[in-house]
Amino acid sequence: MAITTATIDITSTDLGISLNASTNLSKTGTSTGLEIMDAGYGEVTVAHSAKALLEASAVSGDRNTSNYFYLSNKATDETYYLIVKLHDTIVGRLSAGDWMFMPWNQSDDVAEVNITATNGTCAYEYAVFKSAYTLVDSTPA
Amino acid sequence: MATITANITLNTDITNYSVSESMTMRKLGSTSGLDNATGIALKKFTSTSAVTIVEQDEVTASKASKVYMRNSGSSKEDFFYVSIHVNSAAATGTETIGKLYGGDWMLIPYEGAINLTVAPSTASDMTLEYGLFYE
Repeated sequence: MAITTATIDITSTDLGISLNASTNLSKTGTSTGLEIMDAGYGEVTVAHSAKALLEASAVSGDRNTSNYFYLSNKATDETYYLIVKLHDTIVGRLSAGDWMFMPWNQSDDVAEVNITATNGTCAYEYAVFKSAYTLVDSTPA
Repeated sequence: MATITANITLNTDITNYSVSESMTMRKLGSTSGLDNATGIALKKFTSTSAVTIVEQDEVTASKASKVYMRNSGSSKEDFFYVSIHVNSAAATGTETIGKLYGGDWMLIPYEGAINLTVAPSTASDMTLEYGLFYE
């Protein structure tokens, strides 16, 4: 069984905030560690408009499961940001240098994660950890 | 101007992949830090009804707001559905983000155009830890 650990700490002396949390990412409804992941780097330009960074599975058994998604905007110009969507719903705007981490339900086959660069090209790093992934049929010759 | 710092560490032995990143929460398109936070709150749930955790009008839309949530329980069977939800009682207008199982946490940018809601998977006691950071 693989072990994947996600740890966060948030601090603000100004606002009196200090927290720390850590979790082991597990398969749907169990304490068994996830064993499927994908990660990579890329860049998206403004001209690209919205792009699907992660496609939801076309297989119903893969959906509504325990999955986790990490994204970091590697741009260094503070005016560049990524608009992150689940299908056509905006989750939020990820500024240069920012990261996000969230569960990803894959509620249906159009629950993809989309990103759009605004004001300039954004390099990014992503990782996704999944409970299940069914290989798709090969394309006939 | 306040300084709010969030660090993440991801380690896995699926491969040798690891991440360690730090960010200072800033206003959109600016080097100035976010000024406002609700603080970290705890909410106990005793039914499976969906509840609005962050209302869209708490923040200015299309800015650099962020939301932190954590299921403070330990059960890997029980979870919170987290959704972008027009109305916590409505069946439509929902985009489910995902499930937060015991101990799981999330930190996301928040658009502030639609409410964020959670719905426990069980009527047994469950507690959510959450906080909002905004311009």
